[in-house]
Amino acid sequence: MQPGTKKTIDTQVLIIGGGATGTGLARDLALRGVNVVLVEKADLNAGASGANHGLLHSGARYVHSDQEAAKECREEGLILKEVCPQCIEETSGLFVAVPGDEESYIADFPGMCQKANIPCRSLSISEALEKAPCLSKEAIAVYEVPDASIDPFKLAIENMSQACGLGGTYFSHCRVAGFDMNKKGITCAHVQNLRTGEELQIHADVYISASGAWAGGIAQLAGIKIPMVFSKGSLLITGNRLAKPVINRLRKASDGDILVPGGIVSIIGTTSIRIDDPDKIFPTVEEVDLIINQGQQMVPDLGVRRYIRAYSGVRPLVSSDDGDDRNVTRGFVLLDHAKEGVDNFITITSGKLTTYRLMAEKTADLACEKLKLDAPCRTRDQAMPMAETGDWTEPAASLKRGLGLPGHDDKMICECEMVPASAIDAIAADIRRHRSRPDLLSIGLRSRMGKGPCQGSACSARALSHLYDKGEVKGREGIRDMARFLNERWKGEHALLWGDSLAQSSLKEMIHCGVFCLEKSDEDR
Amino acid sequence: MKIDKIMHCDLLVIGAGLAGMTAAARAAHKGLDAIVAGNPSSFAFSSGLLDYLGVYPAESSELLKRPELGMNALTSDLPGHAYTLCGHNKVIESFEFVKTLLDRAGLPYTMHRAGSGMENKNFITAMGTLKPSFMIPETMTAGSLAVDQEKSNKRLLVAGIKGLSGFSAAQVAQGVRKYFADTRHVDISLPGVATGIQPQIMAELMESVDIKSAFIEQLAVHIGDADLCGLPGICGINNSPAIVDEMSTRLGVKVFEIPGSPPSVPGMRMAFAFEKVLGRSGVRMLSNVRIKDPVFDGKKFKLTAGSHPDEITIRTNGVILATGRFFGNGLHARRERIVETVFYLNVAQPTGRHLWHDTKFLNPNGHAINLAGIETDSVFRPLDPRGRPVYKSLYAVGSILAHNDWARLKSGAGASLASAISAVDHFVESGGSHGR
Repeated sequence: MQPGTKKTIDTQVLIIGGGATGTGLARDLALRGVNVVLVEKADLNAGASGANHGLLHSGARYVHSDQEAAKECREEGLILKEVCPQCIEETSGLFVAVPGDEESYIADFPGMCQKANIPCRSLSISEALEKAPCLSKEAIAVYEVPDASIDPFKLAIENMSQACGLGGTYFSHCRVAGFDMNKKGITCAHVQNLRTGEELQIHADVYISASGAWAGGIAQLAGIKIPMVFSKGSLLITGNRLAKPVINRLRKASDGDILVPGGIVSIIGTTSIRIDDPDKIFPTVEEVDLIINQGQQMVPDLGVRRYIRAYSGVRPLVSSDDGDDRNVTRGFVLLDHAKEGVDNFITITSGKLTTYRLMAEKTADLACEKLKLDAPCRTRDQAMPMAETGDWTEPAASLKRGLGLPGHDDKMICECEMVPASAIDAIAADIRRHRSRPDLLSIGLRSRMGKGPCQGSACSARALSHLYDKGEVKGREGIRDMARFLNERWKGEHALLWGDSLAQSSLKEMIHCGVFCLEKSDEDR
Repeated sequence: MKIDKIMHCDLLVIGAGLAGMTAAARAAHKGLDAIVAGNPSSFAFSSGLLDYLGVYPAESSELLKRPELGMNALTSDLPGHAYTLCGHNKVIESFEFVKTLLDRAGLPYTMHRAGSGMENKNFITAMGTLKPSFMIPETMTAGSLAVDQEKSNKRLLVAGIKGLSGFSAAQVAQGVRKYFADTRHVDISLPGVATGIQPQIMAELMESVDIKSAFIEQLAVHIGDADLCGLPGICGINNSPAIVDEMSTRLGVKVFEIPGSPPSVPGMRMAFAFEKVLGRSGVRMLSNVRIKDPVFDGKKFKLTAGSHPDEITIRTNGVILATGRFFGNGLHARRERIVETVFYLNVAQPTGRHLWHDTKFLNPNGHAINLAGIETDSVFRPLDPRGRPVYKSLYAVGSILAHNDWARLKSGAGASLASAISAVDHFVESGGSHGR
């Protein structure tokens, strides 16, 4: 469709934001028989949902600061392990104290866990070292709790996929530009496709903003002010997995104190830095060093490990004067804007990945009330079906499928992470079904492509060649895609380039600048 | 039982990339007894094109029509750059030396003159972009475009091979469409070529008469009114000029190879050509050994090659360090600072890691870390922090040198050749071979 053309869509509910909450909400409403359209200005999990530890909290992290949040996490964790086991690895979690950590915090921990109904077992140091040999031998106390890891990308893909299977619609790269309003509420959302220039006019009965850090901006389009603050948290991915269980520092939430396994890697974070603009974030050298220096106190290996990537997310929080944003409740904020006279507008923001389902449920309850529908929530007990393309976010997915092995007629595109051409084709077809154009970024989001040690140095070019051969990319748009993909990957690389990672990144520059002169062909420059 | 293994030489070259191989060849040419120690695998990462200066300054959006046009500004901006140290004439002399050497090994290259000066040409890459370069393998010359990038009246056919990794004829054809009157693309299926075949295997297959003929016969059907035909760089390993010539003759169009991603066959051909030349001239090659523990006794260097039990001691009058940068492991970046890995030489570098990289990968200015490296005197001897040569006959050449962001300036090959040749020439002139 040409820029400037308009298309009108009618739906019961328009969801703005394709993160964990938005996609979870799409599935929740679709299961209740509600017709939904979801618009996302970038792509799935582009905000905080895609930039966290991937930790399914047992709740133990919050027992001192927020008992309610701790209980919520415990209950939600149990539900998610039941309904979407394919997204979860039950790793268990250790809370570890080292010399110098606050003793009363350590001593109170088991009791506080018990109060929140979280199983907590004291381990001897030798028992703990057996479970996680990478732990500091200096550890003075270790407790085991039922933490787990969760794949947020798979989760969002599966949620959205089921919602679409039930009649929902997903629009990526579509930004809400404005609302038409009357005295009672919103009558139309003007949505612009940032890729094609096409404009959508979406008429919904209820409009829900699930846009995380961008909730203030969306509300403002309806004349409503939500006082928000943003806290940046950065995380690092190690080149391989350091431990089976999650490892938490047994102290008040601080920097570099949670190490979470994510398949074949581990993720260490975070930091907490107030920022003004959630669109301009990347990890800095200072943050990387802070995380490593803190992290190695509980896991000494973190001081010498190869890191393959860093990334930053934004915690969207409701305004607070407290200096440390981690102390603000991580409980969610559900706002019924009927209070401000916009009857059919709801905002859901803040909260945690662990409680995304509950957030979706409460929001959907409110939406159904507004729609005057008596439709109970079904996500508590209905298992999430496995989407056809969901499991390419998983490491070694190709091995599981028997692809890329000798004799199989399928070329390997990403050699580090074993993503074959057939996976790229399946993902591209899926993206087409959602009326978007498959490019390197959207394929990278839905697979492990470019996530291994070479960080897309070689596979990006191979994938692009393959997409051209398949006719998925045309003209010079692939060159722009390549530049964008490399610049995007770089955000997470530049702060942790030393040792082997630096050697690898210099190869990337040799190829893409030295041979291909991409810096001269970068049409976004 | 311990067996002492000692090797003696005039000049030890550490590193077998372009700079190291060139230094070793120059040493042999000058009658020195040389050893080259290193791993020539870095050639697989070279496109095969040998650049002089394609862009200056880095942020300029123009590609340089003539390298000399950038040299004036470069030499006044960067007093420590290899080109400033040796000058334009020495650079050209170095290219000519290597051109002659590769010619003799059966790998002809071309340089273009424009009036009294030298000319860059632009090349279509496998990405579908253009790259300026200077000394060109003959198998690629027909694909050169005028640097001013005006649309030509030529009709281009790009031919790929089904199953070949990392090359899409469709991508190249669509990327360079605006420079031609017409562009088409075709993918040829060859018997016995499996999905995901690597370029070097394809290049070996192309040397067999059957495969080559099958390729030419199938391609002939699609030639139509094309004037030019671009192929991936897979036209043989040892006799690529003859294969490309034969294709051109039989197809009736000018055939050329297109430079692409590693592993790069045109790059590997250079490694084989150097090995052939060095082997003939008696240069000893130590492959895949790490050189370590250098000691200077006032007259000679003593170094250790390899590790126990195959450890060898090398005694030499001079050393040329051509170990490359981070990818070649000549430089190593710790979290805090950059170190040189053999002699622990002083490395010119930004004051902290936060200054190493820009936040945008394709920032046209490049990254500060690319200017880090070894600073030398005018004959390429590394300097100590007080600005004096560390040793009388220790030289550093190639990409390890400071102040050359070669990937951005398209200045890698020229700096490697010119520094290697200048260093060897100085070593000879200062009587380096007489210590034995």
